[in-house]
Amino acid sequence: MMDPTLAHHLSEVAVSVEVETEGMTLNIGPQHPSTHGVLRLVARVDGERASSVRPVIGYMHRGYEKLAEVRTYPQIITIVNRIDWVSGFANEIPFVVAAERLMDIEAPPRAQWIRLVLTEMARISSHLVFMASYPLELGAATPLFFALRERERVLDLLESVTGGRFHPNFNRLGGVKPVYAAGPTTKKAGMDIPAGFLNETRDAMGKVLGTCEEIEDLVAGNEVFLARTKGVGVIPVEIGASYGVSGPNLRASGTDFDLRKVSDYLPYADFDFDIPVRPNGDCWDRWWVRLQEIRQSARIITQAIDGLPTGPLQAKVPRIIKVPAGETYVRAENPKGEMGYYLVSTGGLGPYRLKIRSASFSNLSLLPWLLEGALVPDFIAIMGSLDFVLGDVDR
Amino acid sequence: MTDNPSEGQTTSDPVDPLNLFAEEVARAVDGQAEVAHQTAKVRVPSTAWKESLTIVAGDLGLGFLSWLSAVDWTDEVAVGDEPDQPVERHYELLCAVSNLTDGRLVLISTEIDHESPSIESVADVYPGANWHEREAAEMFGIEFVGHPDLTKLYLPDEFEGFPLRKNYPLLSREVKPWPGKVDVEEMPEEDGGPTTENPGS
Repeated sequence: MMDPTLAHHLSEVAVSVEVETEGMTLNIGPQHPSTHGVLRLVARVDGERASSVRPVIGYMHRGYEKLAEVRTYPQIITIVNRIDWVSGFANEIPFVVAAERLMDIEAPPRAQWIRLVLTEMARISSHLVFMASYPLELGAATPLFFALRERERVLDLLESVTGGRFHPNFNRLGGVKPVYAAGPTTKKAGMDIPAGFLNETRDAMGKVLGTCEEIEDLVAGNEVFLARTKGVGVIPVEIGASYGVSGPNLRASGTDFDLRKVSDYLPYADFDFDIPVRPNGDCWDRWWVRLQEIRQSARIITQAIDGLPTGPLQAKVPRIIKVPAGETYVRAENPKGEMGYYLVSTGGLGPYRLKIRSASFSNLSLLPWLLEGALVPDFIAIMGSLDFVLGDVDR
Repeated sequence: MTDNPSEGQTTSDPVDPLNLFAEEVARAVDGQAEVAHQTAKVRVPSTAWKESLTIVAGDLGLGFLSWLSAVDWTDEVAVGDEPDQPVERHYELLCAVSNLTDGRLVLISTEIDHESPSIESVADVYPGANWHEREAAEMFGIEFVGHPDLTKLYLPDEFEGFPLRKNYPLLSREVKPWPGKVDVEEMPEEDGGPTTENPGS
């Protein structure tokens, strides 16, 4: 029989020896369904936990900042709505406002309200894509069908006005594109949006709100969804701000900062709407904030179509547009966060320099901080909750 | 936006809130304030770059990093239009920071020498500056001293040249002039010819 002290000693040894495992490098991407584009992550993992994560980006870099230097202002509008292609219309707004500011002109009220309606539609459609894809990435396929059905309705409305579902190219310096068949737009102001648009929009907004209810019923209380998202990927507001994280991602961390409330790039001051805020900064809060933002956008659109002003669509601009020398930075609250253009003109046909500040770039730059120490199975939940688009990251 | 007749000019209206804000920032960092086109800019010397941003991020509470990038000021332009006035050759480095309450935003700006562009990194002041500095480094060839990992961000590792420098040619433009430019030059005069808005009949 074994000496009891020896047996005890042996058992001590057995528990104090840990299996020594080497850290492992795990490559994720560049092709991966949860990356919404082409993104590669190089993670050092120790078992199930990541010790460091290095995102590798640039697979979709198209060099828009350089291209903008060799194009005229109207031509640039066509390329900027390809930055974040999920909300193409919203990308055009800060650019045209920046150029208008340097030219010292302002779009007429009707044009501004139409811009505002279509921007909010872009927000709804962008958030609906998130409502579709995020639960899907976590294993719930059903919300996708509800969300995409409604998104199609909104895209149809966008298309009926602009002619494009994804890339509207609808803004002009000093206003919005007049409908060709409507003739000189100052005379037939009522003919700029298609017949029946207002009623169809009112109808669609009611359906969007109904779908929000359905999605909330399906997802919000779902046990698996809660387990995957509650307390996961927490972003403290100061950390997020120092990385430039913005939009719904930051408002889920307890700040009510929204450029629609503090900036005048579109006439949001004329509208009554709330800023949804959540305090915890986790994945579930980010999902919840976006769901509420759809409701608020529907509320804004309903108010806008009830009070759409009449008048011209276009301020008077020269036929050949030269923007006077100057510099300005205009930023807007896009669906993904702060989108802005720093426009430097030296008086030519195109910008001397156009710095594009895109929301997803800064939101994604937090990833190394956010994923450090995270479980590998949580990667998808965390990355999905940031709602980035790689076109908006790489520009 | 256009109610103010002095709009667009460098205003010195002492009660304009944006002017007051720019002056406040300028006093704190010992820089020069200018406000134009609703954009506040404070110029600081390049030696005080990091110190200024530390003050702005700390004491002034502008903890939100909007962006950081550069402008290549030069008359030697390979693509695009030259500046209409001759400029002194330099890089202008800009950092846009804001608060999260009333959304006041200021551009902190400094000039960097064109020959050997180099400046202190602010990646430990604003961690988000890490990626912005990597982008500025590969696009303009600016060296950020003290940056933790100044590798290429977008471009392949073996890429040569700095694409956003004004003397960097755009190959597609070299091969074939952009047709859009021709369109613009051949547009009809203000009062003549048919246009898309008024096609005639």
